[in-house]
Order: sequence, then C-alpha cells, then structure tokens
Amino acid sequence: MSLSAASGSTKSQSDWHRRHDLPWLLLFVVPAFIIVVAVQFYPLVYSAFLSLQDWVLTESQTPKGFVGLENFVKELGDSTFQRSVRNSVLITGGALALQMTLGICLAYLTMGASWRMRAVRTLLILPMVIAPVAAGTLWRILLNSRAGLVNHLLSLLGIKGPEWLAHPDWAIVSVILLDTWQWTPFVLLVVGAAIASIPDDLLEAAAIDGASRWKTFLYVELPLLMPLLLLTLVFRMLESLLSLDSIYSLTFGGPGYSTYTLTYYIYTLGLRSFNFGAAAASSWIFMVFASLSIGLVFWYQRRDW
Amino acid sequence: MKKLWLFLLIVALLLPAGALAQDMPHAGVEIVTNFMQSGTYDIGAEQLEAGFEEATGIELEIVASPFVVLVQNNITDLSTGTGEFDVISGDFWIGSVWGQMHPLDDLIERDMWTPNIIEGLMLPGPSGYFDGKRIGIPYSADAYGLIYRTDIFEEAGISADWETWDEFFEALDALEMHLEGSDIAPNVFAFGAYEQTPAIFLGMYDGYLVDAEGNYALDHDKAVAALNQMKSLLDYNPEGATGLSIDEANSVFLTGKAATMICWVSFVRADAQNPDASLVVDNWATAPFPGPGFPFLSAWNLFISGLSENPDAAWEWIKYYINEDEAKRRFVELGVGSPFLSTYEDEELIEQYSHDFPNMVANLNRAESVPWIFAAFEIFFRHMGEFVIGAVDVETMLENTLADWSELEVPEGLVQSAAAQGQMQEG
Repeated sequence: MSLSAASGSTKSQSDWHRRHDLPWLLLFVVPAFIIVVAVQFYPLVYSAFLSLQDWVLTESQTPKGFVGLENFVKELGDSTFQRSVRNSVLITGGALALQMTLGICLAYLTMGASWRMRAVRTLLILPMVIAPVAAGTLWRILLNSRAGLVNHLLSLLGIKGPEWLAHPDWAIVSVILLDTWQWTPFVLLVVGAAIASIPDDLLEAAAIDGASRWKTFLYVELPLLMPLLLLTLVFRMLESLLSLDSIYSLTFGGPGYSTYTLTYYIYTLGLRSFNFGAAAASSWIFMVFASLSIGLVFWYQRRDW
Repeated sequence: MKKLWLFLLIVALLLPAGALAQDMPHAGVEIVTNFMQSGTYDIGAEQLEAGFEEATGIELEIVASPFVVLVQNNITDLSTGTGEFDVISGDFWIGSVWGQMHPLDDLIERDMWTPNIIEGLMLPGPSGYFDGKRIGIPYSADAYGLIYRTDIFEEAGISADWETWDEFFEALDALEMHLEGSDIAPNVFAFGAYEQTPAIFLGMYDGYLVDAEGNYALDHDKAVAALNQMKSLLDYNPEGATGLSIDEANSVFLTGKAATMICWVSFVRADAQNPDASLVVDNWATAPFPGPGFPFLSAWNLFISGLSENPDAAWEWIKYYINEDEAKRRFVELGVGSPFLSTYEDEELIEQYSHDFPNMVANLNRAESVPWIFAAFEIFFRHMGEFVIGAVDVETMLENTLADWSELEVPEGLVQSAAAQGQMQEG
C-alpha cells in the first residue's frame, strides 16, 4: 500500500514536471525544429516540385508547367545519364575497394606509439588535408602523358606509360587513383583507432589457443572491426559519389563523357545548362540510388558478426 | 547685416556644389559592374576605378568571377529579376538574356559617341544586338589564330600564305618531310582541352549552325568533311596530343618542338617574346587563319542591364572603360586584344609587333561569334571529344549531337546573331 502510494506520488510528480517543463522544452526545441525544416526539408520539397516541372532558366523565367514524371523518364532513358551512373559505380566501387584494402593494411603496418610510427601516420594523412581541386590539379600535372612524373617513373622501369587523361579507360583509372590517394588515409585513421581499442585479453586468449596471426585477424579482430568498417564504407561511398571538384580539375568530365559521374552530370545540367527540372529529377534519382546503397550496407551490418 | 552675411555664405557654398552637380550629374550614384576574373579585364577595370570615381562621383563596385561563375551570375541575375549588376560583361554565352539588356542606340546618339572600333566587330554577332538595336559594345577582341616558326619555314622554303585548310595541309606535308628525323612536330594543338576543338571545326566548316526553323543544326556533308579533316590534323601533332592542355600545347611550341600552332594568340604572345619562357623569340609570326570557315571570335562586350536603375551612370562607366587609350594600354600591359583599329595602326606598336599585327587584324576582320548557348556548346565539344579519341565514328557523333541539340531552344538574340553573320540555313 505504501509502495503504491509512493509510486502514485512519483507519477503525479512526474506529470507535474512534464507539464511544467513542456513549455520550456518546446521553447528550446521548436526554433531548432523550424530551422531544420527550413534548411533541410524546404529545399527537398522545392526540388521535388521542380523535378515535376518543365523549367529551363535560359528559356523561361518561371517554370513552364507541370509535366508529371516526364523528367524522370527522360533522364532514365538518357544515354549520358546512364553512362554517368555506370561511371559513378565504377569509380566509387573501384576507389572503395582500393581504399578499404589499403587503409586496413596501412593501419596494421603503422600500428604502434613510437615516434617513427606517429611520423609515418602523419605523413600518410597529408593527402586528406589538400583541397580536392588542388589535388585534381596536382594529379593532372603528375599524369601528364608527355612531361608528367608518373610516366617518367614508369619509363625508368622500361614501361611506356599510358595516355592517362586522354584515353577513356585510363581517365577512369586516373580518377580512381586520385580518390584512393586522397582518401585512403581516412580509412587508415578510423581503422587504426579501432584496432587500438580491441582489448588485449581477447588477442592473448586467441594466442593461448594457438591461433595464427591471420586467424586471429580473421576470427577475432575483423568481426570486432566490422561495424566500424561498414560505417567507414558508408562515409566513403557517399563522399565518393558526391565528388565533383576533383573530377572537375582532373579530367573536366572528359575525354568526351568518359568521366562524367552522376554528380558531374547534375552539376552540368543544373548550373551550366540551367535545366532545373531535369537536374532536380536527376538529383532525386541520385538520392534514391545513394539511399539504396547505404541501406544495403546497413542491412548487411545487421548480420551477427 | 548678419542675415546678409549668412545668405552670401550659403550662396558661396552652393555655387561650387551646383557646378559640381553640373559636372557630375551622377555624383553619389552606386553602380556594380562585373568582369571575368582573368587577371586582365578585371585588373584593367580596377586600375581605372579610382579615376572614374573621382571624375564622375559615381561609386563603382567591380565584381570579378571565374568564367563559368560569371556566365551563371549573369544569366540568373537577369532571368530571376535580381538586378544585382548594372553593367554586365559577356558575349554570346549569355545570348539567352540579351532581350533583357538596355538598348544603347539613344545613349550613343545623345553623346555622339563614335569609337574607332574595327568595323567587323561593331556588327551584330561580335557586338550584342537584339531586335536590330545595339545592346553591347566590344571591349576586347581575340580571334583564334595560327602561329608558325619563321626560321623553320624559311629553311624549308615554305611560305605561310595559305587561304584554305587544304593549302595549310600541303604546307604540313612539306614540313613533315623537312622535319623528318627531328623531334619537331609539324603542328601542335591543345586537343586535350576539349572545349577548344570546336574552334578548328568552325575554321574548316562553312555550313549553317542554325536551320531555317531556328533550331541548332549542321549541314551534314560539310560537317562530316570538316570533322574528318580536323581529326586528320592529329597525324601532324606530337604523340599524346589528345591529352594536351592549352598550357602544355603552348609549351610544346615555346620549347621549339612544333613548327605551327593553332591557338588563342593572346595566350602565347607575351611568353613567345620572353627569353625566359621561350626558345622561339623573334622566330615566330602570326599566319592567316585558313578557310572556308571563320576564326572563332572572343569579343567581350559590356552591356547595361535592363534592370539597372542607373543606366546613365552605367553608360558613363562603359565610355570610361572602352576607349582607344585604355585599349592600347590594356593591350601593352595586360595582353588584352584591342578592338580599336588605332591600336593596330600605332607606329610604335606596328614596329614591335610586325610579326603579328597584319594577319591578326585580317583574322579579326573575318572572325565570327557563334550562336551557341553554353549547353549547346557543351554538347558539341563533348561529342567531338568522343570522336577525337576514337570512341565513336563521325556519323554517330553527329547523330548524338543533333539528338541532344534537339532538346534545346535557340534564344531569339542568337537566332538574330546567326542570321546576321550568315550562319543560318537559307529557305
């Protein structure tokens, strides 16, 4: 009985607090909520509206009218759009595979707290702090087929370097190389921190059980690292898909349409051709595509490692 | 008595102010002008800013932006009715908003302003016109050109007097034979700067760019011939030419590794005569740009925005910026191609640029602008890039270009420009 009285008193106290705090909570939450809605949802809703309109700014000051899903249908059937999707998948897929593999390897190779290892890690993360536009320009010079350092070094090994930026396939490889060079350090940093947080007793237990170094990595460390690796994969996937400035300065989308990615395509459509309707539709397709990719990674993450 | 003194004092103070108001009718007015952030046009404007403000009392703000941003700013400013800029810097790239520019004919007539600009540059196309009214005045002029090594030509006994591309190719054949065994290529062009390739095409193509219905189009047979001829130029270029940027191609010529170069002459003129940057000092000259097409023209115009609340003050700035003395100064100090004939008739400059001037003026007189909006240009050079690298054949390239162009509308101002320059299909 006394227990029930006490619980009744606690409940009424809690109700009073809730009633008393509610205005204050609203006072703090509502402005932030309005800002989030204004900053995030309004542009989204407006771009959804635009994606259903026929609007080319160079032809008309205002949208010409509602066209339903016409922009979506047109874009999905457009050969340049399809090629941009293919290039995005190739570049992001290739770059992610290289970055994750190299990042994990480098993280293990540079483990330790000695000054040498710290210095090596510092040097390795330098590419990450260079502005993508500058990195693209730098690599454009390095990959110059006539006077670039890369082909010069290859020639010292007796290899005739390819036309990095003038050949459609090598241009894709160049973009993958640039992305890998610049963003592998990110994987290295995250994985390095994750490795350091693995409890020593787990590794000692594996060693006592006679597990080899490779088996310890495969059955002890990798499952522990997996959630963070997947998160890193998501971050890098998004960044890579959204990459525009490095491609702009490295290949300018060329030769021809060879390195047009979805982001580059949308940029061209919206800000060079001023076709706002088509650009908005493409952006929505891109968002669905990116969301599905991320959803797939998160779905995979639910597995019990 | 005190009142009389006060009255006289006020009159004394007002007299100069009145005189000032007469001399400076726009004193206190604020105007905004924009330029491309190129280190040339914008710097030229900044150098004049203080003098202009002092002379007119107008407060001038100069906004300099990179090329693409400038085009975006101009189109969005006028299309959305923002009206941020009073004086707008542009050319055919902003043809979609030419209809929203302030006509200049009345202002020119009122001030009896007669600039001695090269005749061809004052015509519709190089100059902005809309519905028969002048809306833009050119303040720079640069035509796509062809430069050659005078020493090599002399050695080989070849004269640079071609009129057509066929004749130019004959010269290249002769050069190839003469240069056999050396590491000097008969020609170099920045094929890797994809947006530059249309300039060669336009030189080789003499068909229409807009059809009789006012759509983007090309004469199929003439376009095929020009595209194939353009691609055959690669045979005379150094290895890896499809990857050469403008700077890299310039460097090939400046280091003496090419006998001819197709380029914007203004990009290379100063360096070519600088012993620290060039191995060809005094051994090069500008040649006639071959036909039957035309040299691609870059002629920046100043326009007054139709949204400007101070068109008269904006006009004062245009007159201040575009004049013979300033054009000559910008040519000498900043390398900006002058639209004024007097620059090319200046005895001091003629002596200094004897290797350059005669053919440059001839090329400028033949030069034309194109009726392409940004999207049309982008479609063309992208598909052309695919053709140059061998990803598609000429028929597919044309088919893809025309299919993409069919989605675009040619702005009225550019239809008029095409018609005025003979780039429109008859019928």
